[in-house]
Amino acid sequence: MKRTLPIVIVFACGFFMIIAFFIPLRGFQDVSQTLQNWYIGVIAFFVFIGIFNLVKVNVDKIQRRLRDWQYNVILLIFLAIMMIAGFVGRPGGGVFLYLFENFHIPLGATMFSLLAFFVASAAFRAFRARTPEATLLLIAAVLVMIGRVPIGYYIWHGFPDLVEWIMTVPNTAAKRGILFGADLGLISMALRVLLGIERSYMGGGKE
Amino acid sequence: MSVNVGVWIASLLTLAIYSFLYKDNPFYKIAENIFVGVSAGYWAVILWFDFTWPNLFEPLIRQGNFIYLIPIIVGLMMFAPLIHKISWLIRIPLTFTMGVAMSLVILQRIQGEIFPQLQATFLPLSGVSPAQLISNLLIIVGVITTLIYFYFSKAHKGILGVGAKLGIWFMMIAFGASFGYTVMARISLLIGRVYFLLHNWLGLI
Amino acid sequence: MNILDRLVKFDRRILFVFVALAVIIPLLIPIGLPVDITRPVKHVYDRVESLPEGSIVVVSVDYDPGSEAELYPATEAFLEHCFRKNLRVYMMGLWPAGPKLGNMALEQIAPKYNKEYGVDYINIGYRPGGPVMLVSLGRNVADLVRTDYAGTPIDSLPLGRAVKSARDMDLVMTLSAGDPGVLHWIIYFSARYGTPIATATTAIMAPQQYPYLSSRQLIGLLGGLKGAAEYETLVERKARAVAGMDSQSIVHLLLVAFIILGNMVLLYQRRKK
Repeated sequence: MKRTLPIVIVFACGFFMIIAFFIPLRGFQDVSQTLQNWYIGVIAFFVFIGIFNLVKVNVDKIQRRLRDWQYNVILLIFLAIMMIAGFVGRPGGGVFLYLFENFHIPLGATMFSLLAFFVASAAFRAFRARTPEATLLLIAAVLVMIGRVPIGYYIWHGFPDLVEWIMTVPNTAAKRGILFGADLGLISMALRVLLGIERSYMGGGKE
Repeated sequence: MSVNVGVWIASLLTLAIYSFLYKDNPFYKIAENIFVGVSAGYWAVILWFDFTWPNLFEPLIRQGNFIYLIPIIVGLMMFAPLIHKISWLIRIPLTFTMGVAMSLVILQRIQGEIFPQLQATFLPLSGVSPAQLISNLLIIVGVITTLIYFYFSKAHKGILGVGAKLGIWFMMIAFGASFGYTVMARISLLIGRVYFLLHNWLGLI
Repeated sequence: MNILDRLVKFDRRILFVFVALAVIIPLLIPIGLPVDITRPVKHVYDRVESLPEGSIVVVSVDYDPGSEAELYPATEAFLEHCFRKNLRVYMMGLWPAGPKLGNMALEQIAPKYNKEYGVDYINIGYRPGGPVMLVSLGRNVADLVRTDYAGTPIDSLPLGRAVKSARDMDLVMTLSAGDPGVLHWIIYFSARYGTPIATATTAIMAPQQYPYLSSRQLIGLLGGLKGAAEYETLVERKARAVAGMDSQSIVHLLLVAFIILGNMVLLYQRRKK
């Protein structure tokens, strides 16, 4: 039951959805739509369990006084403030919006912008033309980096068109080939899941 | 210079994150943990008010529509691992969502990606200008040789080896272009933050 | 010890200073380099121009603050274009922070054109579920959307009542930073319902969109901050994206110099061996 029921569920839901795609009858379409709507409802709980786990992991770290546990306190305090502001004050205005605009946005934006500096460091230290293939990669990168900004157009009016050709022809060709491979792999994986052959997503255990 | 408290908070948090460039320090760690806390809290609130309450709980509680009990109960099974005896129940929401999602993967990846992309690869080799002919030929050759490279069931020798080698060259150009764009992306993010500091905070531009 | 020997042991924090200066100086002292317009951006612009007044454009804000610097300027420029053409904007988001960021843009742009919420534009908020949600949305919006982002019943708003399925959507513009995003709109929505899709993506994602441009599954593409700057130029709204282009150009030249320098060090090290 513990192993059979989940496999029956994945098989039944999956193949019903596939069959319903080919049968335009109202009943099939309505059930298919209902399953999709329930899917979205269930997915929401994945997020809630994620947040629950976040709290659990941090509380555990604080209780055991692990290294830098004080920062975990800060995390939980701001999590609580955000949730109280949202649930009590509603997401529409006031404290919640203030926290979003003056904490969430600047922190999120800045965190990712740090990478600009590390990309510069990588350009100097790691981006080396050691092989003919690496040289080709480097040339393409340099052409795109110059051609895709206004200075490229300023240096030579044909630069943007050259870069556009690189993107439209060799880039498209390679990306399309990779895309086919990835899609075929994904479809075969999906079939394995629906047929119950692939079960790693269910979690471990002998049951 | 701005007199808005919010702008000052945002600017100081920005500088706290950037302090990491010198070395790891408490200001950075504080800002990092505030970010995680605020993001998680934000997501929970928005998910509840934008979707979970109006689409699941409100129809159940206010309209008495008991069919919504099904997704709610299945969703609550995600918490089953907290009780050891019923921890296996988590498989039900996992398999349900996988079943629905994977069926759509099979249908839509074929309909929405493989067929259109195949169609777009069948390019004309006559009745076009010489420049377009070269481009079309390159696209066809590029797609085929890239796929040859990923065919590992046979050794890459002879004609297959030549095809694989050509595929690598196409991929190197594509990855180089991707690298160029990646650099562009990272720099743009930095420009955005610096613009905020110079314009909104310091009022210099 | 010659200069190339010193470069081998370079402290990378010096590189960081160069990068910071290359960003700051052109912002303080603009060069004013002209922004060239590329075909993928022009296609988006032309499609919006061709839409009759009153057409409904779905603007899906599928990014978070991490990509705000690249995609927020594109959001504002696109909304400006839509409102100027008297198109109706139906905003939503596949990412949690997206609709809030989109709302900030709406609050900036809509009052300029005296647009009325609920009539000329609407924000239905965050819609979880990614690809499955899109399939469901295209068939029957009412199944998924009961309120807007502020909790107002959707049926009480004229634009909310006007959009019942994909058939009522004349164009989808997705401002996309990853998954879920443009790929899902193309594969799960447009492939099923035929609605044309345009996109503004982060620069990282832009190269992956070219196969879809080539197959005409995407009608156009704004790639990164440069794409946003091109669109700002087309709609004659020179704002943050255009302002950032001088810095972008200078930093790119600097990085190319770093790459060349790095390879000179490599050649030097090889010769030394």
